[in-house]
Amino acid sequence: MSAPGTPADPDPARSAGDVPAQRRLALNEDWAATVVGLLLLVLILSGLWPGWLVP
Amino acid sequence: MAGPVSDRQATTAPRSATAWALGGVAVVVVIGALVRFLEQAVPEAAEGTAWAEIAEAVEYPVYAILLGLLGNVVLTVTGLRERLSGGFRTEFFIKTGLVLLGASIDFSVIVRAAGPAVLQALVLITAVFGFTWWLGGRLGVDDKLRALLASAVSICGVSAAIAAAGAVQAKKEQLAYTASLVILFALPSIFLLPAAVDVLGLSPAVAGAWIGGNIDTTAAVSAAGAIVGEEALQIATIVKTTQNALLGVVAVALTAYFALKVERTASARPGIRDFWERFPKFVLGFLAASIIATVVIGVIGSDAAKPLISDVNAFRTTFLILAFVSIGLEFRVAPLREAGWRPIGVFAAATGVNLAVGLGLAVLLFSGVTL
Repeated sequence: MSAPGTPADPDPARSAGDVPAQRRLALNEDWAATVVGLLLLVLILSGLWPGWLVP
Repeated sequence: MAGPVSDRQATTAPRSATAWALGGVAVVVVIGALVRFLEQAVPEAAEGTAWAEIAEAVEYPVYAILLGLLGNVVLTVTGLRERLSGGFRTEFFIKTGLVLLGASIDFSVIVRAAGPAVLQALVLITAVFGFTWWLGGRLGVDDKLRALLASAVSICGVSAAIAAAGAVQAKKEQLAYTASLVILFALPSIFLLPAAVDVLGLSPAVAGAWIGGNIDTTAAVSAAGAIVGEEALQIATIVKTTQNALLGVVAVALTAYFALKVERTASARPGIRDFWERFPKFVLGFLAASIIATVVIGVIGSDAAKPLISDVNAFRTTFLILAFVSIGLEFRVAPLREAGWRPIGVFAAATGVNLAVGLGLAVLLFSGVTL
């Protein structure tokens, strides 16, 4: 009857590692989306992005 | 001998997972290109026929989601879907699209809409989260699952479910179930809410606020907003982004509640760092894009900036198409079948409350807002 998360009674989510891993992935995707979006924006607004590469 | 062999296996496995994920991205891009083609070719082909009006009315989100679902069926039948699923990055595509959308929203519009958007988000999240939590308790739904359901339906769908799952340490199956439920309810909303907007004769700002406050996934909000029109899309995005920003607050509150009350692990006391970790960072990108574009337009003038913003919008549409295709590809029926009717009932009832309270708040707070 130990508290969840202790070695004697590992939390199923923690032991599987799925939810924390997915959360980290979502956080990384947040930063990745911010960097990619802003980089594209700056390249286009500064005229450095070639017109033929616009979808 | 065992060492080098296991080392080789250890390096080969992630490499092959990356190769499959890249394959998944390629599938999304190919279907996205097909969507772009249909979006332009179908209205041209239907010109002068009885189908012309319908062909003109069908926007890219419709093609993207339908082709995504069709691709889902084909990949499931051929047994490739699970392997390729690492490339179906809905969250990344939609968030990049929304950062780019920031460029076409004048920063003053965000400032003007921020007050009502924050008020609407606070009231709506409190009412819908409270109702879902209460009803889930009455129907005997597991505490962790009802935390996931309440976060997903009241804040921003899959992102909120992921954040809540981390906060309450939910099981992987509970997260998969909630995510499937979110998509199951979001898909019809994309088409039903714009139709309801027409029937109710709502103004673009009220329609955008209603859509932004009600549809759970950010991607589906963009799809429905795009169907109603550009103004509705802008307001819907501001309202949804405000809700996304409040995700950090709710995630920290859930962490505190589960750590201190449900599971009583005093060591897991949440702090400022937890709030920052759970704050959706793309919201900052969205605001930064709006500020950058507003400054550039101010410096070079709106005529000179128009073609540049139009290029940014082309990228925004492309990323949104990739996100909608991914939504279709990611949809799963199995977790829904396994969990039974009670969580679905809770989610459906909460959606009803969200629709009614959201419409009232949108009319009350956004009737006077113009772009």
